Amino acid sequence: MTWSMPNFAIARPRDIESAIAAREQESLSVFLAGGTDLLVNLRLGLGHPKLLIDLSTIDALREKSLATPGIRIGACTSLMELTAMPAIRQRYRALAQAAEAVASPPTRTIATLGGNLCLQTRCVYYNQSEWWRRSNNYCLKHEGNVCHVAPQGQRCHAAFSGDLAPALMVLDAEVEIAGRNMQRRRVKLVDLYREDGRAHLALEADEILVCVHLPPDPPPSSYAKARVRGAIDFPLAGVAIALAADGKRLLQLRVGITGTNSRPFLLQGVDALIGGTLDGDALHYLETLVQKQVQPMRTTTISAHYRRLAAAALVRRLATVIAATPEETGQTTGIADDQDHRAAT
Amino acid sequence: MREPSDLRNRGAPLIDGIDKVTGRARYTADLDHAAALVGRIFRSPVSHAEIKRLDVTKARELDGVFAVVTGADCPHTYGVLPVAMNEYPLARDRVRYRGEPIAAVAAVDTATAEQALDLIEFEMHELPAYYSSPAARADGATLLHDDKPGNIEREVHHVFGDVAAEFEQADLVREDRISCGEVNHAQIEPHAILAEYDPAAQRLTVQSVTQVGYYLQLMLARCLDMDVSRIRVIKPFIGGGFGARVEVLNFEIIAALLARAAAGTVMMQLTREENFLTHRARPHTEVTLKLGMRRNGQITACACEVVQRGGAYAGYGIVTILYAGALLQGIYNIPAVKFDGYRVYTNLPPCGAMRGHGSVDVRHAFECVLDRMARELGLDPFTVRRANLLEVPTRTMNQLVVNSCGLSECLDRVEHASNWRARFGKLPPGKGLGMACSHYVSGAAKPIHWTGEPHAVVNLKLDFDGSVTAFTGAADIGQGSSTMVAIAVAETLGVSLERVRVVAGDSAITPKDNGAYSSRITFMVGNAAIDAAKNLKAILIEAAARKLDARADDIECVSEQFSIGRRGQARLSFAEVVKEALIGGGALQVKGIFTCPPEAQGGKHKGGAVGSTMGFSYAAQVVELTVDEPTGAIRVDHVWTALDCGHAINPLAVEGQIQGSVWMGMGQALSEETHYLDGLPAHSNLLEYRVPTIAESPPIEVQIVESRDPYGPFGAKEASEGALASFPPAFVNAVANAIGIDFDQLPLTPDRVMQALVERRRKARASALKGQAS
Repeated sequence: MTWSMPNFAIARPRDIESAIAAREQESLSVFLAGGTDLLVNLRLGLGHPKLLIDLSTIDALREKSLATPGIRIGACTSLMELTAMPAIRQRYRALAQAAEAVASPPTRTIATLGGNLCLQTRCVYYNQSEWWRRSNNYCLKHEGNVCHVAPQGQRCHAAFSGDLAPALMVLDAEVEIAGRNMQRRRVKLVDLYREDGRAHLALEADEILVCVHLPPDPPPSSYAKARVRGAIDFPLAGVAIALAADGKRLLQLRVGITGTNSRPFLLQGVDALIGGTLDGDALHYLETLVQKQVQPMRTTTISAHYRRLAAAALVRRLATVIAATPEETGQTTGIADDQDHRAAT
Repeated sequence: MREPSDLRNRGAPLIDGIDKVTGRARYTADLDHAAALVGRIFRSPVSHAEIKRLDVTKARELDGVFAVVTGADCPHTYGVLPVAMNEYPLARDRVRYRGEPIAAVAAVDTATAEQALDLIEFEMHELPAYYSSPAARADGATLLHDDKPGNIEREVHHVFGDVAAEFEQADLVREDRISCGEVNHAQIEPHAILAEYDPAAQRLTVQSVTQVGYYLQLMLARCLDMDVSRIRVIKPFIGGGFGARVEVLNFEIIAALLARAAAGTVMMQLTREENFLTHRARPHTEVTLKLGMRRNGQITACACEVVQRGGAYAGYGIVTILYAGALLQGIYNIPAVKFDGYRVYTNLPPCGAMRGHGSVDVRHAFECVLDRMARELGLDPFTVRRANLLEVPTRTMNQLVVNSCGLSECLDRVEHASNWRARFGKLPPGKGLGMACSHYVSGAAKPIHWTGEPHAVVNLKLDFDGSVTAFTGAADIGQGSSTMVAIAVAETLGVSLERVRVVAGDSAITPKDNGAYSSRITFMVGNAAIDAAKNLKAILIEAAARKLDARADDIECVSEQFSIGRRGQARLSFAEVVKEALIGGGALQVKGIFTCPPEAQGGKHKGGAVGSTMGFSYAAQVVELTVDEPTGAIRVDHVWTALDCGHAINPLAVEGQIQGSVWMGMGQALSEETHYLDGLPAHSNLLEYRVPTIAESPPIEVQIVESRDPYGPFGAKEASEGALASFPPAFVNAVANAIGIDFDQLPLTPDRVMQALVERRRKARASALKGQAS
């Protein structure tokens, strides 16, 4: 048994413009894609929308283009579809690995690319029932005034927990966003997010994430997440790395991190390593960067300090592995094998 | 036709298995409740408070609300132990944990019920709350229960043998303090009940998820002031018990109160969060264990202190703390044992019984300390266990009878299967092997309610159609007890399994049974089923003898054929014999019983009955794992386990039960743990309460050892709990083997492993610096 779902209507627009129009007409409305996160939250009493605008029937959001240059993937593509696309598995490996690391097969069948990118932030004080939150005087993220994770602070520390964002960031992805009056804008994925657990998306209420653009010829990449179990769990820390090298000389390096902050982000300061070799000092430097820039808080039952250390350890591991076998990382094989280590990868 | 020999060799799929996997089986939530009212509970928002005002007027006046009940509607306490009923189904005067039921509503639908809950007015005076045993035991702490000083529910102090002298005999004495996190059953099917009150007949019928229908019937009669004959308890299909439903739960009484108040039918289904609030599972436990050992590995003495954080009410607590001490014995030969147990009241959901009741955390500590001492003495872990084996039959110092013990063979089997001797200590870095042993009772020899009745009764009916129907009150909760009854009857009668039907768990139809707890059903109900089948067989043989004009002693019955002598010429079919047997009297009804003799019911010391049983199961286990040092993640690579269950009546089911036990032990070792934030359960969903997934599930190689207990049904003992307790210590011992760190906590989540590794590196650096300095 679960608590009852609030009463709401469902709109099934056929195109993006109708969806945005519906959103404008009803201020108490939300967009619904796979619903694997949204519906759970609604049952917990997190939000009382009058209207759910179902995006899954809009063909334009499901379109995929593999024509060069680059790749374009519609936001309503399911994670299962994503992992099955040979182009993704072969060339954008971090993305395929990240998608395969989400939840479980039944969830991945329904959950979407856009939904994972726009995932609500999570916190052990927030993802609880109405009775629970009310007994705790609610919290800054929802109906309350205090962030129980950092009561002295001014902002919500709920953690962004999507797996796909860091993978797409290191692959230099851009997202295309549709707004009112047929307007379209295209931004780097990094710029979609803000470090605020209560308002982590830089999206207007009536904007829809339409698709993701991936540039061609990406460097070898990989994704790994720390978690307690090999399935179901959100990342305690998730790490994606894209790394290109000429022999031992680093040509390109990007590190994306999720699960530790209110937003996924690209690690700053890695450019200092370009042109050098990925030796012990460089790896130590990378780990230090990670430890300084991640800001895990007590938003899960697993310690924040662990998440900091695990993020650093995973960055070291992925960088080492990719640097050691740059020619293989573009291959299609071995994704499932790499998932086998649970928190290890 | 499935021949008895097939059953012995391979076992039978559970007789209700097809119904379950095809979805035909109806669980409580599947019962027709279209016309039923929806029951919902108003729960305490605070951990500890005096109730100052409770006003349900507005809730009662809401359209669509048919009943509202509060503590005022039930002045009776309830509880599983007659000596410790200190809990009201709905709080009166005081609440003692967040989530404790205060009031409840029955309404036309869920939305109306929830709306009514919001209209309940509640004022209170908050009291200090305690979330740990030390805090609750501290000087000056407010008492949760006025009659329990120091917030101690029960202290146990038992001494057997000359403890001081035996420690003197030891070459090595070691003491460790080991803590085990609180865990929950996390059974797949959430709690639910359908309660129907008939105001004309003044009868109540409940269909509930209970493991103990008889207790439920008694407790409903008590709390509703009803004659027990007016109450019928039916057990639908159950999606897992593990002890979660082994005592009557507050929601069951509340739903019945609502049904009577509404003069109708109420369906109450709890959310997963409410399941965690109802709790009644394994408490957070601190074990301080001191062992003395000779150079050859023989244990000389054991001193053990156990502190259990019991939660807000008594429940099974007294039994849990007694089990913790009693089951220090019954597995190894220990000349002296001292036990000090403390069951503590805290402002958290009440703990209760869970698979391996009371024994798991203590066995964990014991087997970890044994391993550490083996290492210190340079002995192999198997050698240390073998140095302490019991010789049977025996009676332990605390008067537990042990009539059969296959632990030695269990050790041989897993040592061989895991190739221990060739591999232990020789695995690559990060990989480890560990082992441990455990045991468990086959039913509590002394029942909670002493009535003078047998421990188990089974009725059999044989009618004109030749069908045999067994009636048992035993609750099949997925463990396969109904299948066991069918096999016991079929094997004894010499008929095919398909001829036997089992009707179970309906108080209007089946004879009373104490319930599915302490792994009692196979031993007790199995023996009663055999007894009933023997009685029926005697009647059939008499009939065959009449028909064949022979002496009953000469009649053989094999594969549904009756003959004079084994190769007799004259043969009668089963149908012919049934026809003869029914002449004059019609349908046959016979009964079988089983009673534990008084000498098996434990010692005369206070609490001596707990732990007593007719037969102990024994297990040995080897775990192989890999520790990923950079992330602290542990992967269980392989498990070898051997269980002495006396005799496997249904090998297929036994194997499944052993795998389930191992797997549940793995959850407790690897990832399962409750977390409270000021008394609010942070873990109250299956994302934060991390039951392992199939991704964590290792290959589990099961070996069944058959020691043939002299009193067990066909020599059988329990098979559902004994293998659990050896997993966590085998796991922790394997981690020590892999990375050289002894962990004193459960579970070993990656953050704890990482923390220990960081700590070790820090110490290594510090001592290196110190070395440089000097």
